[in-house]
Amino acid sequence: MIDPSGGRPIYIQIAEWIETEILNDNFKADDKVYSQYQLAEMFTINPATAAKGLNVLTDENILYGKRGLGKFVTTEAKAIITDKRKNEKLKGLLTEVALEAKRLQVGEGELTEMLQQAITDVKGD
Amino acid sequence: MKVIECRDLTKRMIGRNALNQLSFTLEGDKITGLIGRNGAGKTTLMKILAGYWHETSGKVEVFSERPFQNLNVSVNAIYVDDQMKFSHTLTLEDILKEAARFYPNWDTVLAERLFDYFSFHPKEKHDYLSKGKKSTFNMIIGLASRCKLTMFDEPTTGMDASVRKDFYRALLKDYLAHPRTILLSSHHLEEMEDLLEEIILIDEGQVVLHESMDELKEYALGITGRAEILEPLLADEEVIYETRVGDYSTYAAVKSDSPVIQKAKQHGMATGPVPPNDLCIYLTAKQKGGIDDVFK
Repeated sequence: MIDPSGGRPIYIQIAEWIETEILNDNFKADDKVYSQYQLAEMFTINPATAAKGLNVLTDENILYGKRGLGKFVTTEAKAIITDKRKNEKLKGLLTEVALEAKRLQVGEGELTEMLQQAITDVKGD
Repeated sequence: MKVIECRDLTKRMIGRNALNQLSFTLEGDKITGLIGRNGAGKTTLMKILAGYWHETSGKVEVFSERPFQNLNVSVNAIYVDDQMKFSHTLTLEDILKEAARFYPNWDTVLAERLFDYFSFHPKEKHDYLSKGKKSTFNMIIGLASRCKLTMFDEPTTGMDASVRKDFYRALLKDYLAHPRTILLSSHHLEEMEDLLEEIILIDEGQVVLHESMDELKEYALGITGRAEILEPLLADEEVIYETRVGDYSTYAAVKSDSPVIQKAKQHGMATGPVPPNDLCIYLTAKQKGGIDDVFK
């Protein structure tokens, strides 16, 4: 109730976790990913929830199914995930930044400076 | 196949209906949470399903048969709570042997491994176990019986945090290996919500909500905003829950498809998901106001 941004559905978190595994090359094109039962066991969640996470990725063409064999990574998976994260996650984060800046009355110039500093910090890591 | 079917199921208890024309159907091998406040009717329902108590009126079927004093149901369904009674003369070891004789799908290996893991002594007596140990032992019976319908009524009563975690994990692993219908009652939805495929929320002997867990998580949205702007928006709409936070803010939970959300967003108000546990509390709240009103 205090934090309205918390409590995202588990199946979305599962989908994002697999996406990150693909981005990190832990799963490459045509690799078989974890089954709903393996995911259920790994995260102690209901297998139906895990299946829903896999289905979301299948609908987005990140995974494809082979009947009876499981789910595999598509050739375009990495490109789709990168594109999606740019458009949804990054833009969403930036909107929040813009909103918070407005609340704190941080001007465009100051905000740009802060962003550049953040970019430099990340490069330094 | 239908595992459970209740239609207009009523159970008359002293002075009130513990179950009041309750209806629902459960199919397939799922883990379902039975959620509700104290006295909502969870235990009454499960005891009727297990065949311990008979219904007053309406229809109740387990594996398409009336459960009361039904041998097929009592062999294939188990009801586990913290008040399970066993003969005083039996040791824990004897109880496991008797259970193995009674339940056709009993898994001796699983029972023995859990028994060792939780450090029970074969010669101990059930009556002398601590509260948490009793719950743990009963849980072993519940899991190892592998009944087609397995019901746990507040299974974690008295268990410490680490045993609770072990219990949920054991339950899930055994369910993955041997899918069956599992009904779990608790008022601590948050600690088991990841395990559940769906929930049945009951209040005053009736089903308030029967939804998949995923849908439940997206069922409602919470809005936080300045009271003088938000409250007029809520005036003519269906509101699940509303409260003042401090002097100027209002928090409201509304259905995810409510027109209020769009309007609230236009006013720059923050919206976010309502945790399932909170939602269940809101949906079963008494109309008498909150605990704060007692102190007014």
